[in-house]
Amino acid sequence: MDLNIRIAGEAGQGVQTTGNLLVRAFAGLGLYVFATQSYMSRIRGGVNWFDVRIGDRELFSGRERADLLVALSPGALEALRGEVTDAGVVLFDGAGAPGVQSLAFTETATEVSGSAQLANTVAAGAVFGLLGYEIDKLCDPLAVQFGKKGAELVAGNVRCARRGAELAAALAASVAAPRPGGAPGDVCSGSEAVGLAAATAGVKFVASYPMTPSTGVFTFLAGAADEYGIVVEQAEDEIAAVNMVCGATYAGVPAMTTTSGGGFALMAEGLSLAGMMELPAVVLLAQRPGPATGLPTRTGQEDLAFALHAGHGEFPRALFAPGTPAQAYELTRRALKTAHRFQTPVIVLIDQFLADVQKNTQPLDRSLRPIDRHVVLDPAPDYVRYAVTGDGVSPRALPGSGPFVVCDSDEHTEDGHITEDLGVRVRLQDKRLAKVKGMTAEALPPEVYGPTDPGARGDECPARPESLPRANSTRPPQPPGAAGAETLLVAWGSTYGPCREAVDILAAEGRSVALVHFAQVWPLDAGAVRPLLTGAGAKRVISVEGNSTGQFASILRGAGAIDTCDRLLRYDGMPLTGEWIAERILR
Amino acid sequence: MMTQWPGSSPAWCPGCGNFSILKTLDQAIDAAEIDRRRLVLVSGIGQAAKLPHYTRANVFNGLHGRALPAATGIKVANHRLEVVITSGDGDLYGEGGNHLIHAMRRNVGVKVFVHNNQVYGLTKGQASPTSDRGFVTKIQTHGVILQPINPLALAVVEDCSFVARSFAGAPDHLLRTMTEALSHRGGLALVDILQPCVSFNRVNTFQWYRERVRPVEDSHDPFDRDGALKLALQQGDEIPIGVIYRSRRPSFESQLAVLAGKSLCEHFEEERR
Repeated sequence: MDLNIRIAGEAGQGVQTTGNLLVRAFAGLGLYVFATQSYMSRIRGGVNWFDVRIGDRELFSGRERADLLVALSPGALEALRGEVTDAGVVLFDGAGAPGVQSLAFTETATEVSGSAQLANTVAAGAVFGLLGYEIDKLCDPLAVQFGKKGAELVAGNVRCARRGAELAAALAASVAAPRPGGAPGDVCSGSEAVGLAAATAGVKFVASYPMTPSTGVFTFLAGAADEYGIVVEQAEDEIAAVNMVCGATYAGVPAMTTTSGGGFALMAEGLSLAGMMELPAVVLLAQRPGPATGLPTRTGQEDLAFALHAGHGEFPRALFAPGTPAQAYELTRRALKTAHRFQTPVIVLIDQFLADVQKNTQPLDRSLRPIDRHVVLDPAPDYVRYAVTGDGVSPRALPGSGPFVVCDSDEHTEDGHITEDLGVRVRLQDKRLAKVKGMTAEALPPEVYGPTDPGARGDECPARPESLPRANSTRPPQPPGAAGAETLLVAWGSTYGPCREAVDILAAEGRSVALVHFAQVWPLDAGAVRPLLTGAGAKRVISVEGNSTGQFASILRGAGAIDTCDRLLRYDGMPLTGEWIAERILR
Repeated sequence: MMTQWPGSSPAWCPGCGNFSILKTLDQAIDAAEIDRRRLVLVSGIGQAAKLPHYTRANVFNGLHGRALPAATGIKVANHRLEVVITSGDGDLYGEGGNHLIHAMRRNVGVKVFVHNNQVYGLTKGQASPTSDRGFVTKIQTHGVILQPINPLALAVVEDCSFVARSFAGAPDHLLRTMTEALSHRGGLALVDILQPCVSFNRVNTFQWYRERVRPVEDSHDPFDRDGALKLALQQGDEIPIGVIYRSRRPSFESQLAVLAGKSLCEHFEEERR
């Protein structure tokens, strides 16, 4: 079973602090946790909420409605009361309303600790009390959270938590709670996973301009800079950021930039520069709904087509789109390796949902394991930077190592100097594009998830909960769950989890459904993918995406991987959920 | 053994001020005893930005206006490299103006040589950010009505660590100024080089500049910011050339603890082993 707890209040009321506290406490209990955030583009006021879903099996998605709503403000109660399940319980810090349990969080906090600000800790205690969990398990993370601010504050918080639990236990309401089990105690967000992967892969330079929802990765890397020896610089704008990254990679260090759609638009010319100069520039693109400023703090998958085509002219690129924090870790490392192996820009696409999601994860490797830059350390005197080779990859030397390393944004000769020799132009363009073949051969095949495939079930395979399919496997990916499925869901990026849960829900309803998920969306090996999508006998193929036009479906069609498919699209700024998808397919 | 690039003939017009800047830069590199293997010439786009192709050095000829951020990335990744920008007024004061402001704040140790010809050459004669008011072009058909940017005053106000001006028609002065800039160790050095354009600027000619440039008096203390600002604001009939301003700010890279012993490149190579 699982339970969705929604903590809601105004910005500045500590909604996020409370949510983070509960996430750690639940994970510490051995519960499976999946936490998502919904916040407004403001620092004070409005209605923000933090969903903490807990379960006794691995969770991959949020839910639409709450089983337990904790409203810290009248506005939150009003906005979210209608989004509570039939048997759900509402705790409200104020005078009672029908069907609402009044609990004086603020008054209690003042009474117990002398500070009204600790109302949210009373609320967290009340959640624990109502669910019947041992309150000590909440007090330990409280000590971690507030330890730096002094023993007195910790003690006040502990008193507030205990009092909250007592008050809740005395309420008439009760909520059935999942039994704590053997979930991994580590919890990781998508942002942390991307940042940690970059730091451990040996990224030495990060230049970015802050932009929601990419700022979490930027902040993580700044925090990790001293430990891993990274220079993290806040550039004056995104144009500067991407050009700094181009300069740093030319000089020889792995480097990356982090941004969101609007900033990425400013980087388009720099991306093209990396394509022309054959630099391993890596961009983390955290999507949010557009166009223009759009919905700054909401989620969406609207920049896929843009990321695929951004930058003038034609050059090879790879696009990775992880589905979970664990995949975000693996694929960010892979993105850096791919960029260096093929000397071309690579983009990692996440979104607000995946950036902020918190999920139990097997401990991620925090040790520094620098990737191979594929550089020639002692180039010959007659070295030229853009030697034409069979696979399009030229030996890469670094400036300062001996012979001159000459790079030009103009079309250039093999030695890197500006040219208008049109024959050379064709030869060098062919050389650059020759890399696509190798990149396609090394591209990750899609992962297939079907309810009948025990190997793909993360909860029964705790050692590798979100294992990625391997590239270059000797045989094409075998879809035990897809074979014979009447309906195929096709997904890319962060919709992995919601689609996976939709498959489970639909299977429980007796439907024959499987999921095909693309964690690498480009290059696309259409020849390998087509049999998977059209050859398994599915009557219906549905592309499930967080945009209003079905961008990935169009890309699949354009590549010849599929002839036609249905589209199930969500673009209201909220993340897809398993129940949202299943409900629409059952309808 | 250094590779000699066979070279191609510069794409500049006969008589262009860029020839003098190229020749003098080569002399200044030698005078400052810079090992060319560790020299990276960075440029954007424009006629001046082609200079790196005409001499022997590592080259990063990037995007229009973006020489400074690229040079910043190079210098941070490997601060043992000598990073020198040679590009034009359109590139560095126009398209890349924002970067110049912030690069001076950042004070990264790159040398910026601006070939300032007060006109757009590569696109055939439009106004540049330094064109004088009234300068008539095919775009500014009634003459420029915008105030020209004052790069030196801007640099003094920004407390740029080395600010100078020279003239392509005064090779000895240019060599001294460039050599001094190349030897500067305290961060960003900006040298505005007056460079006549023989094709598209019939106003600001060699003769025009010769009549106006005045070497800065020996008595001028470049660390005197008020005096420097006064000099920088002098324009029109008398144009001061020489080292206008210096400040004792720490460079960007000298403030990064991680770069104290090794460059980022060296750190990576050591960690990879």
